[in-house]
Formats: sequence, C-alpha cells, structure tokens
Amino acid sequence: MIVPGLLSVAALGFLAGMVLGPRRPRLWLAATLVGSGALLAAALAVLLGEVPEWDWRGTFSLGGERPHLRLDALGAVFLALLAMVGGAGAAYSRNYWSDRDYPRSAGRGRFWWSVLVATMALVLVAANGLYFLFGWELFTVAAFFLILLESRGRNVRAAAWLYLAASHVGTLCLFAFFALLAERTGSWELGPQLRGVAGLAPLFWLALGGFGVKAGLFPLHVWLPSAHANAPSHVSAILSGVAIKLGVYGIVRFSGWLPLPAQAGWIVIGLGAVGALFGIAFAFAQNDLKRLLAYCSVENVGVILIGVGAAMLGESHGQAAWGRLALIGALLHVWNHGLFKALLFFGAGSVLHATGTRDISRLGGLWTRLPWTAGLFALGAMAVSGLPPLNGFVSEWLIYLGLFDAGIEHGPVAWAAMPVTIMLGMAGALALASFAKAGALVFCGAPRTKRVAHAHEAGPWMLGPMLVFGGACVAIGLAPAALWLLLSRAAAAWNPAWAVAAENAPSSLHSLGIAHAVLAFLALGAALLLWRRARENGLRRGLTWDCGYAKPAARMQYTGGSFAGVAAGWFFWLLRPERTVQRPHGLLPESARRIERVPETVLEKLIGPLAAGVLRMSTAVRRLQHGRLQYYILYLVAGLAALGLIVLWEGSL
Amino acid sequence: MMMTFVGIVLRLALWLLLAPLLPGIINKVKAWVAGRRGPPVLQLYYDLARLWKKGVVLSTLASPGFIAAPAVGWVAVVGAALLLPLGPAAAGVSFRGDVLLLIYLLALARFCTVWAALETGSAFEGMGSVREVSYAVLTEAAILAAVLSLCVHTGGLSLTTILAPSAGAGAALLAAGLFTVLLAENCRVPFDDPNTHLELTMIHEAMILDHSGPPLAAILHGASVKLLLFSVLLVQAVLPLGALPPLLATAALAGGVLATTVGVGLVESLLARFAFKQVPFLLTLAFVLCLFALLVAWKGGAA
Repeated sequence: MIVPGLLSVAALGFLAGMVLGPRRPRLWLAATLVGSGALLAAALAVLLGEVPEWDWRGTFSLGGERPHLRLDALGAVFLALLAMVGGAGAAYSRNYWSDRDYPRSAGRGRFWWSVLVATMALVLVAANGLYFLFGWELFTVAAFFLILLESRGRNVRAAAWLYLAASHVGTLCLFAFFALLAERTGSWELGPQLRGVAGLAPLFWLALGGFGVKAGLFPLHVWLPSAHANAPSHVSAILSGVAIKLGVYGIVRFSGWLPLPAQAGWIVIGLGAVGALFGIAFAFAQNDLKRLLAYCSVENVGVILIGVGAAMLGESHGQAAWGRLALIGALLHVWNHGLFKALLFFGAGSVLHATGTRDISRLGGLWTRLPWTAGLFALGAMAVSGLPPLNGFVSEWLIYLGLFDAGIEHGPVAWAAMPVTIMLGMAGALALASFAKAGALVFCGAPRTKRVAHAHEAGPWMLGPMLVFGGACVAIGLAPAALWLLLSRAAAAWNPAWAVAAENAPSSLHSLGIAHAVLAFLALGAALLLWRRARENGLRRGLTWDCGYAKPAARMQYTGGSFAGVAAGWFFWLLRPERTVQRPHGLLPESARRIERVPETVLEKLIGPLAAGVLRMSTAVRRLQHGRLQYYILYLVAGLAALGLIVLWEGSL
Repeated sequence: MMMTFVGIVLRLALWLLLAPLLPGIINKVKAWVAGRRGPPVLQLYYDLARLWKKGVVLSTLASPGFIAAPAVGWVAVVGAALLLPLGPAAAGVSFRGDVLLLIYLLALARFCTVWAALETGSAFEGMGSVREVSYAVLTEAAILAAVLSLCVHTGGLSLTTILAPSAGAGAALLAAGLFTVLLAENCRVPFDDPNTHLELTMIHEAMILDHSGPPLAAILHGASVKLLLFSVLLVQAVLPLGALPPLLATAALAGGVLATTVGVGLVESLLARFAFKQVPFLLTLAFVLCLFALLVAWKGGAA
C-alpha cells in the first residue's frame, strides 16, 4: 500500500503546485518539494525491494480505456531521477527565475514546471498506450512553454518552435507505434506479456525513431542544442537531465517488453557509439557554454545507448553476464548524467545570471567572484569527463567491462564491442578536452570582458541544489557497490531471466569503490600538504610569467575557438565550420578579422534540406486549395463522377 | 591485511625512489651520443630536493586550484603506478577492470595539469594545453587498442592477468605501438622537446611554465613516475615474464626498463622533433600498430 499512497501524495503535491504556482511562490515550492519527495520515496520503495512491483487497474473507464498504472524497478530508476531534478530545479528557480526579476513569466514558469514533472511521472507509470501517449504529449507541450518563458528573444522562439516541430515528428512515430501495437494485440495494454506476441518485432523500429528524437539520438538530435541553450537554466537542467532520459526510457522499456528484431542490438550500439563520438566532437567546437553542455548530452545519450545496445546483444546471444554489466552501467549512467548535467546547467545558469552572457570567449576569471560555483562546476566537469574517483567513471567503467567481456569472449559480438570500446575511449578523451575548455576558460585566467568584473555569487537557493548534486556525484563515486542491488533489480525488470536472488555486487566493484575512497583521501591530503609546504616556504604573488612579457592582457589568452582549433580541425568534414577572414592589407593595416562559427551542421545540411523538400511538396499540394468556388464545385463533380464510375465498373464485373 | 599494507608501502617506496632515475639515464645517453659529459644521473633527485625547499611565486590570477592540481595529478599517477604489477611481485592492488582505472587515472592527471595551466591565463600555457588534450584523443585510442589486444590474447581483464603472459605473436607490433605512445604521453622527442628554449614548440613544459617550488617538484616527480609506468607496462606487455623464474623475471624487467630508457635517449639524440602537423599522423600510426596487434591476438585466439 505504500507505493499508491506515496504516488497519491505526489499527485496531490503537483496538483496543488499547479493551483498555487502562479500566485504563491513559497507554497508552490513547498508543494513541489513534498511531491518530489513522495515520488523519490515511491521509487526507492520499489528499488529497495520493499514492494517488488506495483500494478493498479482502475475499475472505471476514462477516455474509453480503463486506467492502468504500473511501477516496476526499471521505471523507478527514471522516476527517482525525475524526483531529484524536479525538486532541485524548483528550489533553484526560486533565486534564478524569481518574481522580482521576471514578473511576467515567473508564475507561468512555476505552473508549467508542476505540469512537466507530473506528466513525466505519468509517462513513467503508465501501462496503457493511450495514457502513455497522453502523458507524453502533455509533457512535450509543458516543456515547450517552459523553453518559451522568456519569449522576447527571436532565438528563443526559434528554438522552441524547432523543439515542438521535432518532438511532434517523434510523437507521430509513437502514435503509429502504439496504434499498430493496439491493432495487433487487440488492446492498449502494455506490459511484459507483449513479449510473447508474434509479429511485433518490426514495431521496435518505430519506437526507436519516436523515442530517439526525444532522446537526442544522433542525427535526430537537431532540436536539442538550441532548445537546451535558450531555455532558462533550470529548465535546461530538467530537459537535459530527465526529459531526454524519457526517450531513453522508451527505448529501454520497449526493448524489454517487445520481441526484438535480430538487428536491433547492433543498430542501437552502433547509433550509440556514433552519437557519443560525434556529439562530443560538436560539443568541443562550441563557444556557447550551454550549447556545449547540450551537445555533451548527445554524447552521454550515446554512451547510455552503447550500454543498452550491448545488453540487447547479450540477451540475443544468451550472454547474461556481460549483458547485465552493460545494462546496469547504462542505467547508472542515466542517473549519473542526470546528476552532473543538472549540476553543470545550474552552474552555467549562475554564470549567466551573474554576467548575462553564455559566450565562453567573453568570460574568464570568474572564480574570484563565484568561488562556490567555480568549485562545483569543476567537480561536475571532472564527473562528466568520466574521471575517477567520481560517479561518471563508475558507470563508464561498468559499460567498458561489459564491452571488454564481449570482446574477450571471441563471439560475433566482439566485432561490435571492440570498435565501440575504442570509440568510447576517444569520446572520453574529447569530453575531457571539452570540459577542460568549458570549466577552465570560464572560471580561470583573467576576465575577458568588463561584465565579468561585476559578477556576483549565486544565491543560497541556487547553490543548495548544486551542493546536493555535487555531493551525490562524490557519494556514488566512493560507494558504487551500494547501488548495485537497486540497479540489478531494474535489470531484472528489463529481462526477468537475468534476475538473481539476493545478489551482491561483484567484488571488483567493491574494490573500485575502496580504491576511489583511498584516492580521494590521498588527493585531499596531498593537496593540503603541498599548500602548507608552499606557505611555509613563502608564497609570493606576481604577474603570470608569459616568458618574460611584462604586460599580459586579457585578450592575449586562449579563447574557446583557439582551444578547440587542433582537434576540431580533425572533424572539419563533420563540423563544416564557416570562416569569414579579412586579411590585413598594406603597411599600416586598419582592420583584420577572422570569424569562425560551427553551424548546426546536421540541421542545416541534412535535416534542413529534407524539411524544405517536404515543405515544397506541401506547398505544391496546397495550390489545390485556393478559395475559388467554381473549382471546388468542379472538384465535387469530378469526385462524384469518379465514384459513379467506380460503382459502374464494380457492377459490371 | 597487514601483509598487503606492507607490500603496498614497499612497492610505493620502490616506485617513488626509482622513478627519478629514468630522466637522468636518458640525459646521460644523450650526452654520451653527443660526446659530452652531461649532468649526473642523479640530477633530478638534487633538483627535487632543491625545489622542495624553495618558495613559490604564484600568478596573480591563480586560484587555490593551481596548487591543488599538481598534488591531485601526482596522486593519480602514483595510484596508477600501484595498479601495475612488477614482474613476479604482483601489483599492490588488483581487481577485474583495474586496467581501465589506470587509463582514467592518467586522464585525471592530464585534466589536472591542463586545468592548472589554464589558471594562469597565459597564451603559452593555453597552447600547451590544447596540444595535450588534442593528442590525447589519439593516444587514448592507441592505448585502448593495445589493452584490448592483451585482453583478447589472455582472456583476462586485470593488469596482473593480462601482463603475465607475453603479447604472443603480435608482440613486435605492440612494442612499436606502445613505445610510440610512451614517447607521446611522456612528451619526448619527436612529439615534444623537453630541452628547447622556445616555449612555442613545447607541450608539457609549456603547460608548467608558471609552476615553481614544491608544486613544480610534484609535477617533475609525477612525470618521472609516469615515464617509469609506461616503461614497465611496455616491458611486461612484450616479455613473457610470467613464464620465467622470479629472479630472472625481475632481472628481465629491470633490463627491459633500462633498455627502453636508453632507447628513448637514443631516439632523442638521433631524431629531431616533428612539426606539429605531423604529430597526428605518427599517433595514428601508433594506433594502427596497436590495432594490428589486436587483430593478431584475435586470430591467435581463434586458432
């Protein structure tokens, strides 16, 4: 009884939030936090095994179908993440998007936030195709209005429109998917029973397309960078941390519930690897802090899908051992990415709030003004780069382990596992490069513009959620074995054959946790020792040495563009940077400039022309509709005549 | 429990004390080839002792991270070294998948160096950082291919199990690939020139221009440990130490590391630094060598 009770409390909390949001910010925050807390408790109750699974069918009919809700461990993984980011983002918005700063949109923002969190939770517990679609559409629309909170900017409107259009292409696939599913099984009910139904396998491709758009699967990610960059930062955090994970949820969920086509695992792992590498290559070339973070989400979804794809391959080849490792790694990465990406977006929000710009080349030296934000952003940057002893490494390590085991095994899967391992490694190195750039260029060095000099540290409501997420990143890194049991329940929900009773974490995971803890302790000790030693020997401040140059200026520093120069150059065939160069002329040149911009290549070069083609066709068809009555009458007559001919012809047969 | 602890401390002492010898040997070899007397082999020990006592000049822009980063980087490299078995004396710590921890600890060290370099806002250090993080993308691929080849060959996933037997038929390929990676990762000629006086052409040295005193000592010592780490890794990957009796294996390991070090010195004496445009090609070559080693291991395993 504990789960339905908690979920009812959560539903009440979010409903109260919708009512209170526009006018009563404090009560709204309290209601949202209560709702999120209840969601988290419900998810944990399922994950900890208090309640194995919750399944509820309504006795009444709503919209032609009886409601059917269901929460198992797999859904609970995503629900826990939603609860954490939903609550933390609400707290963050109290300082970040306050009534004082945004009198027009703050109330609206609170309302849609409650709608967003509640409908995402509905998607995660829906076990009926109609309700699933209903929640899916509502959450898409709620996110659209949240992106559009500050609707005066042209960029914001364009980004929101692109998001809405792309989402609906995805939703179209899902409509087709659920309708065909209902047609072939005779009901809208979802659940593991679908696995036994023959002929459902090809439907997986529809699901992959529909959910892939939402997940930001490369090359369907085109809406993602601009939407995440232009949305308010707490919205970016939940979009990047949770909303795209619902796409991942869809893929994981229906790969567990549907019979899979033979090629599914290969395709998913391939798409994941390509997405990871290309996504991070795009991220590295960005100069907009939030756009960089957004592209990094494309990479991380790729990493998750590598794990999911490996799990599908493990299942289809009867290899439970490494399939489970990869799946558990992927699910842990879902959490980890949600945590550190929300942390990073909150950090980027603090920077934006303090300086009014997201351009990396206009920032710099912010650590003196925003010491807490700088430290937490650095922590998040290390976590997202997958560096030990933080959480990002643990999940990537599990995925690597799955891939290595698949490679060692010498079966056919090794041909996928080995190249994917190497691509994952390269993506990791590029992620490190991207976040050394994002973190150090923004927070270290000299301020590049005057705005930075007047920056101010974020308020307590903004720092609090960041501290919580930073702490979570460290905690998962130091004690990963504690989560093993929870995630192995989720893996068992995905594939019941992989359930192992009362299972302990592999000893290597325990060892990794201990190694991490010792490392963290030693690193802290060494840093303190070195600091003390330096103080004892005498600390002097002087100009940056710069090889003896006595007047270093802020503009002489490396910028975002120059930092990405070398490695982004290797990907020029993919990135297609646009350059405008005006060379200096004459003895005393007056001006010279070089502007380099990495466009939304996939959107502008691939999807754009495609969309333009569709639009041209639609325009051509639209000529039929011109408002001239005579022609409409002609259409009617022609139509009737055609009908009559058909009837005559049928009769003559 | 006590025994493992003592074992770890002994190994730690060995790593920390022996590592600064390697740069000394390299310099001696270079001097010998050039017909000079050269600095004493123990020069780095003297330098470290001197730096440890010196004061620190901090850039006005630097945050506390500027001093913390060398410390964390040093711990990361030494931690990675402790994961590596030493011939018959196996590793201090060993578990399945520790090889990935080793690779990512080196990445952590790299992150720290780059972060500290960018703290100063110097264009030279920016330049060095860019080169470091960019070339690392290719070396990472090469290292992973090399590790995969060892794993596929031996069927193991911890450093102790994959390094005990030799690399088998692909040993020569792996040796060439890993030696190139060693040169690149430790910023030696032909990738980087640690002795040039022109900061524009350097990678590692350009990144640590602003460090002084004890933090510089930590960086220099960490770099020497990293060099020893790669030499030990290379020798164990290639030579079948597990098949030899313990004494002979130890001697082979020591001899192999010495030979690698002399090899680095010889490369440095006989080769000029490559232009930066050529560096990616050389690294790709290293990657391809490791990839072929992987294919050989795959074929060998299937037979």
